[in-house]
Amino acid sequence: MKHLRPLVAATLVAALAAPLTASFAAAQEEVAPTPLAIGSQVPLADVKMKNVDGKDVTITSAAGKKGTLVVFTCNHCPWAKAWESRIAELGNAAKKAGMGVIAINANDPAAYPEDNMDGMKKRAKTLKLAFPYAMDATSDIARAFGASRTPEAFLFDKSGALVYHGTIDDNAKEPEKVTQRYLKDAVDAVVAGTEVTTPETKSLGCGIKYRKKTTGA
Amino acid sequence: MRPVRILFALTLVTVAACGTRVENDAAAPAAVSLPAGTVLPEIRPATAEQVLAAANAPGARATLVNVWATWCGPCREEFPDLVKIQRDYADSGLRVIFVSTDFPEEQEEARRFLARHGVSDTTLIKTGDDMHFIDTLAPRWTGALPATFIFDGSGRLKVFWEGRADYAKFQSRVQEVLHSTDPKEARS
Repeated sequence: MKHLRPLVAATLVAALAAPLTASFAAAQEEVAPTPLAIGSQVPLADVKMKNVDGKDVTITSAAGKKGTLVVFTCNHCPWAKAWESRIAELGNAAKKAGMGVIAINANDPAAYPEDNMDGMKKRAKTLKLAFPYAMDATSDIARAFGASRTPEAFLFDKSGALVYHGTIDDNAKEPEKVTQRYLKDAVDAVVAGTEVTTPETKSLGCGIKYRKKTTGA
Repeated sequence: MRPVRILFALTLVTVAACGTRVENDAAAPAAVSLPAGTVLPEIRPATAEQVLAAANAPGARATLVNVWATWCGPCREEFPDLVKIQRDYADSGLRVIFVSTDFPEEQEEARRFLARHGVSDTTLIKTGDDMHFIDTLAPRWTGALPATFIFDGSGRLKVFWEGRADYAKFQSRVQEVLHSTDPKEARS
């Protein structure tokens, strides 16, 4: 090992000084469930989830006339926390504009205790959410969406077709440095009935800790 | 280098001897303190291009890049196995590069975490736009953590996956890539 340790340090120093482009062969890839394709309809729209108000809610019951925004999020994740105020503000505004909005927590609280219903209730109250924050108690809805991380947004137009999938904006940690408001722009386009110009985006985020599979789906 | 190596060995012994402690560490990273005088490893900002450059640099038959964060439970859980793989396959030509995605205020905790796990080499911390970083490393990466990439000796990405792995998985994938690299092809 002794010959490799200085080598690694030297390599990193050299590499940081001289960036280059990667070449990709046919790599083996193992990724999270494939996310819904743009144009897809809402999956498992009528599956009941428990909302923070104690009542059952479904994506269908939360849907709006102008479209529906579904955001997979949670309580513990630093990225979800970094974006939570913007998600609340955007979701509340979208709801006022005639969109249906629902936030869903699909994490297994056994892995992240902070992601239990009590934690969700506190979050919903603190953030003054005007839309449901529901628990996907089997994680099957997240699986059906192919949601892999928090936060992750799926936006459906009034016909029920997915028109945007991805992140909130381009800077989780420094809201004042945001230059691309991907989700807000998409919501505005759906409300206006125009085309979403950037339908798919990505960000780093906490991997959703799915519960053990309960169905054959 | 000697004090660093001794510290590295001591830390590995501690980690190996305290399975429960490692699990506790996975659940609550801030709970385990470091011995007084521990030198924390350096952590350098790197763009996706710089990470790839490090992976493509000569001198290894395979390079494993692991993208992690201190607050990411599965990242913490798999970390001891990554350190073990690094140790076990170093002489076979494996290079391991850790890339933290912690926010700036968590950088110190990242360095402490690395020290607790016996990592004394310089490691990297992601900088720049998320989407560019993700797509540059692997277009099919969703951005979920942890993410692991294994490049062959010629800098070709051979294996990539998202999510937690264990020693057996790291071992089989690393062996696969090591065996796929002709020693003559690996750049020295």
